[in-house]
Amino acid sequence: MQDGPFEYHAPDSLDQAVGLLREHGSDAAPFSGGTDLLLAYKRGTLRARHIVSLAGIPDLRAIESRLDGGLAIGALATLREVAVSNPVRSTCPALAEAAGRAGSPLLRNRGTLGGNVCLDTRCWYFNQSEAWRASRAPCEKAGGDECYVNVKENLCVALFAADTPPALIVAGAEATLAGPDGERTVAVETLYSGDGLLPIARAGEEVLIRLIIPAPGPRSGSAYVKYSVRDSIDFPIVGAAAMVVLAGDGSIEAARVAFTGIRAAPFRIPELEAGLEGRDPPGAADGELTALTAKALGSLWLSDAVPHKRRVAGLTALEAVTRAAERAGAERAA
Amino acid sequence: MKRLVELDVNGEPRDAVVHPGQTLLEVLRDDFGLTGAKRGCDLGACGACAVLLDGRPVNACLVLAVEASNHRITTIEGLAEPGGLHPVQAAFVDHGAIQCGYCTPGMVLVAKALLDERPDADDAEIREALSGNICRCTGYVKILEAVRAAAAALRPAP
Repeated sequence: MQDGPFEYHAPDSLDQAVGLLREHGSDAAPFSGGTDLLLAYKRGTLRARHIVSLAGIPDLRAIESRLDGGLAIGALATLREVAVSNPVRSTCPALAEAAGRAGSPLLRNRGTLGGNVCLDTRCWYFNQSEAWRASRAPCEKAGGDECYVNVKENLCVALFAADTPPALIVAGAEATLAGPDGERTVAVETLYSGDGLLPIARAGEEVLIRLIIPAPGPRSGSAYVKYSVRDSIDFPIVGAAAMVVLAGDGSIEAARVAFTGIRAAPFRIPELEAGLEGRDPPGAADGELTALTAKALGSLWLSDAVPHKRRVAGLTALEAVTRAAERAGAERAA
Repeated sequence: MKRLVELDVNGEPRDAVVHPGQTLLEVLRDDFGLTGAKRGCDLGACGACAVLLDGRPVNACLVLAVEASNHRITTIEGLAEPGGLHPVQAAFVDHGAIQCGYCTPGMVLVAKALLDERPDADDAEIREALSGNICRCTGYVKILEAVRAAAAALRPAP
């Protein structure tokens, strides 16, 4: 990328960073690891002329245990740091697994948790080079009027496909954002608009600074399972995270299951969670539960043209539930 | 606006005047003539551009030159020891792990970084560490053999 498509700012405080984002508005982009943003510049899908690097701001990278037994993870912690962290692995194994499966080892040395949580949605009509996309009118996400997937309504249905958010959601995690009016903390689940065009409910001048993971309850376990074409580099076709709490008799007292790669936001399926309550952990594929999941998903917009997603979603979820239950059981026995 | 960046490349201070949008890969290849790192996909998916940043493998095509200031950069050109190849390089040669050679600098650097951190890396860990580097020629078998051999050679004798 010659001739500088952007100015690079390196603020050394959060106030400065927020000020820069405010000053430049939609012409500015906050920048952490850069592994997704730089790709977007190269593809010509991101045109913001001011990059505000967060790397120089102190205290945004630490992984710290909290007094209540939970964890606070700085948004600038790299995916690798999250994946190998012993506190993360014991407090929320699903998050360590998800961070450890995002991208490739090289990408995980730069990509950050905050960047992964705020990852833009994707579609195979959008995430293509400028030359590829020039063969047709720009799609909605690229500033045009058409959606090449949802051709009936011309509404953007780009997919959310980051790995870490489902793990954060089943753990009941919260996100702290810093803005001109101070900080606010919200459930991670509420960070997502469900809109393929503007998937992250973050004001332009806000910066995600921290993820807070509550202490896991007794007899609970979590896991993340990723179904993708290759075991490395690829985004998930379906990613499922599960958090399971076991009752005294070893049956599932409560379960939370969250998905990525299927819709424009990560989401849970209440019917599946309800269906799991009171059952013994599904040791193998459970036809009833996978059918229930497929039905609950309804028809899907195939922004990455993978027609067997509905069937695979249930299988991936049950594998996550089984592994989470195993961990909960081990925790119980300990 | 152009700016001066000062980089530590293979232990030597090097500087370059760069646009903010220039990647570390571009500066290494075009400004410093260190063409060992390759522009394969330019998207962070192939690993042919891999260099070490403070000892950790990164895709140089996705690191801005301005971000690399005040970090230690190691390229394949910085690996050979005086009078001979680094054991990982030697193992690649000895085990026929190089065909066209395009993926090789990235593979060697990632393997070296792995063995520096985990000299006892087992097969699964070696495969995982190399999972961000693609090879079109070898089918990976000889590459894995070479890394295993280098690991054995680097371990202190019992």
